[in-house]
Amino acid sequence: MAWYQRGMPSRLRFYSHLGAPTERQTKYLTRPGLLLFFAGIIRRSAVLAAAVVLGTTAGRAETAALAVTEIASGIFVHNGVHEEASAANEDGIANIGFIIGDQAVAVIDPGGSFAEGSALRTAIRARTDQPIRYVVLTHVHPDHIFGAAAFRDDDPDFVGHAKLPGALAQRGDYYLRRLHGTLGEEASGTEIVPPTVLVSDKLDLDLGNRHLILRAHGPAHTDNDLTIFDQKTRTFWLADLLFVDRIPVIDGSLVGWLKQLDELTAISADRAVPGHGPASVPWPAAAEAERRYLEAVAHDTRAAIKSGIGIANAYRQVANSERGHWLLFDEYHPRNVTASYKELEWE
Amino acid sequence: MGVTPTMLGRAALVFLLLGFALPGPAGAEPTEAERMARWADLRQAIFGDRVVEDAGDLVAVDVPARAEDAAVVPVAIRAAETLAPEIRGLYLIIDNNPSPLAAHFLLGPIADAMEIATRVRIDDYTYLHAVAETADGRLYAAARFIKAAGGCSAPAGKDQALALERLGKMKLSLADRSRPDEPVRVKLLISHPNSSGLQMDQVTRNYISADFMEKLDVTYNGQQVFRLESDIAISEDPTFDFSFRPSDPGGAGVIKAEILDSSQRHFSQSWPVPAAAQM
Repeated sequence: MAWYQRGMPSRLRFYSHLGAPTERQTKYLTRPGLLLFFAGIIRRSAVLAAAVVLGTTAGRAETAALAVTEIASGIFVHNGVHEEASAANEDGIANIGFIIGDQAVAVIDPGGSFAEGSALRTAIRARTDQPIRYVVLTHVHPDHIFGAAAFRDDDPDFVGHAKLPGALAQRGDYYLRRLHGTLGEEASGTEIVPPTVLVSDKLDLDLGNRHLILRAHGPAHTDNDLTIFDQKTRTFWLADLLFVDRIPVIDGSLVGWLKQLDELTAISADRAVPGHGPASVPWPAAAEAERRYLEAVAHDTRAAIKSGIGIANAYRQVANSERGHWLLFDEYHPRNVTASYKELEWE
Repeated sequence: MGVTPTMLGRAALVFLLLGFALPGPAGAEPTEAERMARWADLRQAIFGDRVVEDAGDLVAVDVPARAEDAAVVPVAIRAAETLAPEIRGLYLIIDNNPSPLAAHFLLGPIADAMEIATRVRIDDYTYLHAVAETADGRLYAAARFIKAAGGCSAPAGKDQALALERLGKMKLSLADRSRPDEPVRVKLLISHPNSSGLQMDQVTRNYISADFMEKLDVTYNGQQVFRLESDIAISEDPTFDFSFRPSDPGGAGVIKAEILDSSQRHFSQSWPVPAAAQM
């Protein structure tokens, strides 16, 4: 059984060849975390594709709906983690979803591919006929925003951080090639959709008797992170500024992230939605583990730099106490330390 | 010199683009024989018909066997104490990179060639070669294989605003020097995107311009420590670890670094080196 089929229900394995990377591609992607990330997408796409086949057999031609949970009134989250919880190395699915107002729907992250975006759209249409007026792109990472093209026909505002276009320009091509290379035909339809509305500070989205407050943050997880606060239910959607259970990925600024956490945890909310982890978590308690990890990385990396340990070996003695607290620790931690080392050696 | 190493780098690049397909998803992993043939071709392109000897224990190129981040791979070139004083040039060649000649260090008389380290981008599983050139024109090559991929086209710039604000700034740290007869050990950090030009903007369909450090000159009290001629293979925010032996051992002086990048920008910065007794 190939790595991408592990954890897949056996009846679906026959379908997975569509998304199977060649041996060469498997070799080419040496970063295990990336592999796992795409493995998640492949597996999910295969499930989806098989669901379409089954749906067609039953006489329904539309894309099958993504499973979503209503975590608060009108707030629906797709949580891939539950399906993957038993196989940590297949766990790579972002939390995505939508919020329904009296007059409009806002998608909060359209998902990792056109296929997932389509399935999310079907899930929305199963619940409301309100127009999908906004698609919020919380940051540049493909597992969150590569499903955007599935919403083009709705002609929504694609809302992103003011720095998202720059990040997409730098990284979009690389991410897209990786996605197509790994997923093959399962990636078809996936395109880069640039934001049409930019947020540099705050933006109030009115969904009809429901206001979402979007905030653009300074460099933290990436340099283009957005959070969404639903005033109606006091739900704080943090996307990848909050990782729960799965190791945080430092792709913006470690020091910046800790600073953002100070501000974010000062905001009172009834619940939070992390970018990875359970669909709904208590706030700010759910940020404690992430802060502990980031602080340990900062402290130990500074110590490594000070004692002259090179960038290649630093991770071996940075935040080892955190191993065991996080899924995918060995896959992402060394890169986190490399990124932190590069940032902190300038202090 | 009629043909500069930088020109040779370009020649190697053109050669590569004509002679080899860039690593693609459908290609097969090269065999060991193909890797050897590639090195033979690169050696010919860079050194012509000159004899390149196996360095044995005289020179080593140290990299991690597997890179955690292919865009930031630390590499150190080390030379035996017996050979180091003879070395006038060090070449770093990353065989399977789009532009294989990653760095050429021209060492001044006060440079200590025993160890020089930087960080590079690695595009595919590859051999790295370090070639030392001595004052009498001999060439010694050492090789090391590394498993890493995607480093050249990998996205950089985690914080683009900071990168712009800090462009061209440098930071230098000196290792403790307990004895005056020891070389001065230096770590130099340079804030520069050193972008490869291999990333396409999907919205505009334009490639983001390459913008990299072409030359770095490091002097101590006006004497050359080294000149580096480099290319896109050096990582974003380049770093260099090197040593030199002042002609006035233990004395105070000034280190100066000057950069010329591919956008014709000049950056320059100086740092005092206190006398050994004060350190």
